[in-house]
Amino acid sequence: MPRWGMVIDLDRCTGCGACMAACHQENNLAAVGMQQTRDESRAFHWLRLMPEVSGSAPNVKLRFLPQPCFHCDNPPCVRVCPVHATYLGEDGIVGQIYARCIGCRYCMAACPYSAKVFNWYRPIWPGESRRKANPDVSRRPDGVVEKCTFCHHRIMRAKEAARAEGRPLQDGDVTTACAEICPARAITFGDLDDETSRVRELSHSPRAFRLLHDLGTRPKVYYLADKE
Amino acid sequence: MSLAMTESRQPGPPQFEDQDLVRSIEESGVRFRVTSTLLLLVILGCWVLFSRQILYGLGVTGLNQPVSWGFYIVNFVFFIGISHAGTLISAILRLSKAEWRRPITRMAEVITVVVLAIGAFHPVLDLGRPERMFNIFTSGRLQSPLLWDVSSISAYFMASTVYLFIPMIPDIAFLRDRGVRPRWFYTFLAWGWQGTPRQHAVLERAIGIMMVLVIPIAVSVHTVISYIFAMTLQPGWHSTIFGPYFVVGAIFSGIAALLVVMIALRKIFHLERYLQEIHFSHLSKLLLVMALLWFYFTFSEYLTAFFGNEPTEMRVFFYKFTGAYAPFYWGMVVCNLVIPVLILSFKKTRRIPGILIASITVVIGMWLERLNIVVPSLANPRLPYPTGFYVPSLVEWGMFVGAIGTFILGFVIFGRLFPLISIWEIREGREKAVAETTKRVKSYLPIVATPRGSGGQEGGDRNEETA
Amino acid sequence: MKKQPEYRFIFAFQVLSVVMIWVFVLGISSWIIHLLLLARHLNDVPSASVGISIVAIPVFLTGASVLTYVFVGLRRGRERGVPRDAGGESR
Repeated sequence: MPRWGMVIDLDRCTGCGACMAACHQENNLAAVGMQQTRDESRAFHWLRLMPEVSGSAPNVKLRFLPQPCFHCDNPPCVRVCPVHATYLGEDGIVGQIYARCIGCRYCMAACPYSAKVFNWYRPIWPGESRRKANPDVSRRPDGVVEKCTFCHHRIMRAKEAARAEGRPLQDGDVTTACAEICPARAITFGDLDDETSRVRELSHSPRAFRLLHDLGTRPKVYYLADKE
Repeated sequence: MSLAMTESRQPGPPQFEDQDLVRSIEESGVRFRVTSTLLLLVILGCWVLFSRQILYGLGVTGLNQPVSWGFYIVNFVFFIGISHAGTLISAILRLSKAEWRRPITRMAEVITVVVLAIGAFHPVLDLGRPERMFNIFTSGRLQSPLLWDVSSISAYFMASTVYLFIPMIPDIAFLRDRGVRPRWFYTFLAWGWQGTPRQHAVLERAIGIMMVLVIPIAVSVHTVISYIFAMTLQPGWHSTIFGPYFVVGAIFSGIAALLVVMIALRKIFHLERYLQEIHFSHLSKLLLVMALLWFYFTFSEYLTAFFGNEPTEMRVFFYKFTGAYAPFYWGMVVCNLVIPVLILSFKKTRRIPGILIASITVVIGMWLERLNIVVPSLANPRLPYPTGFYVPSLVEWGMFVGAIGTFILGFVIFGRLFPLISIWEIREGREKAVAETTKRVKSYLPIVATPRGSGGQEGGDRNEETA
Repeated sequence: MKKQPEYRFIFAFQVLSVVMIWVFVLGISSWIIHLLLLARHLNDVPSASVGISIVAIPVFLTGASVLTYVFVGLRRGRERGVPRDAGGESR
């Protein structure tokens, strides 16, 4: 079974935000609107671009960390869900069953990375975006929790294509929307257990680190940076 | 005076010594109708407000990223905490044979049942998709602390309802025999009680079992509620002290709520003969002890965080101590420690007015404590996320008011149907308890040595033979 | 004085209420067992599941048993010939 993971090279990331836009498009994310985001603090992204400021003037260093869900191998959110709506799949993806979620938001309180978002109102897709939705991804109702799925629908498509061709899934067959669009090629996605995959090679780099991994969550998103 | 007013067709039931205790039941009150109508209107108004949440979703609350839990969860913990009033007073005082519990146990047990129902309903208010609540029954995961909660709260609700009902049986039979309407209601509930010695024995044994059973369940309920927070990895929550801390806080807020209820009911139903200064004095001393115990746990919790100086913990720490939540945090300390200790430590101020003030401030302070537990940890997430904020909306305030209104309504209705003070236990106290207690105390005294050292049969005379 | 049939009616309801309590308690116990089996199927942390079941189910069963004991005990403890509603104190 593959174990899907991601490596994000922070020294390449320019903070352009194309990954966020691609994720929104790919996964039919609802538009929350400026008033809700700014005044009610309900920003709604599956992939967040977190700015990290260090140092003091005039040696201020700014870098951006794209943060999707880290699909931990020991997920704190899965442990606390009362209805098994969030679960750790065999391929390492922490999934979310929207049809079962009761909206108790316990997983949101438990995730140390604040990776989950909630549909506070009935979601809206303004204007044309409703017609141009991605048919592979279900639209979520209000009152349920959602998060990054490592573009699981793309993985399913790639698996079907590979099965149709009678071959196993290879590195490069599938990539997430954010990895595909990144102009700096900062994001790499693949099977961490595949010995030939680029992701595995990069994750073993001496520059690799993971966020808050000392909590024992075993996240599967690695960052590459010359310093942590 | 009340004889003529009770029933128009036949002479009313005879007056008896504890007539005051059934006055609210037997005399139909305009007061009752006015109060209950007012309360129902208030509760209805709050539900109308809540319909906004049903229509539009949880967005009408003040919840957001990252503060995804707010008033509903705070009130959930708060109301379940107050439910410890019943257990402590009823069960522990009964177990320790404290005679001063007699007029208090019924009210305490009613508080528990009413407040448990209100508190247990709050998580449903908080759900994004409440109609899917039954997923908990079909696909629930027992490893989730929320499921532990569901189990232990339903166990506690069952145990406390049984524990409320069984000692009520003689009083219900009493009302049945006095002909209180509706007759079928009291006959149904009285379960054929006649007051025979065999029936008394059955009742005593059942109460004995329940009072022992209820205590560990009550302790487990609030421990399990604390585990909702303690089992996550969040700073400020992931602390081993949470179990005992919550139980102590629950008993603390429970006693305070009980005192408020006692003082209010004493005034409204003219129960001054039954609830005397001595009862309040004893209970308020317990409240004082719990205040100090609460402070000990709080001090321990925050000193540990402060001494460890771990960055994420310290962010939550300073958010409470000097940051946005400082008014609520220090308000809590003043309400839970400063005011109660100042009032209750001195005999002069430990009278009913002072006790009322102390109890109300403790109830407010404990509510603030729940707020200080839920929001600051969520508002300071681990990752360098901007610090969150939380401003409760009208809907949330409305449900809070509605919950309090439901609590009061519960008492109003109970007081209309059943005696608020246990008549048979008061009577038992008058007739039997004095002799029993004398016998018991005498058995504690040193054994009188038999004269002429005749090496007495069972270690010498027992003092009670001289009684 | 109550008419006999009316009293039997009330007695039937009392028995029904005790039966309903058993239905409720057995229902909750079987629900917890269902969750226990589900947890085993999902390979959940076993300690919590087993712990809850060990505590919760006996509590429910004890509660229902105590109620039944009281009901049966009160009926058996009745004395013949004592009028049911004697008026005044029931002692």
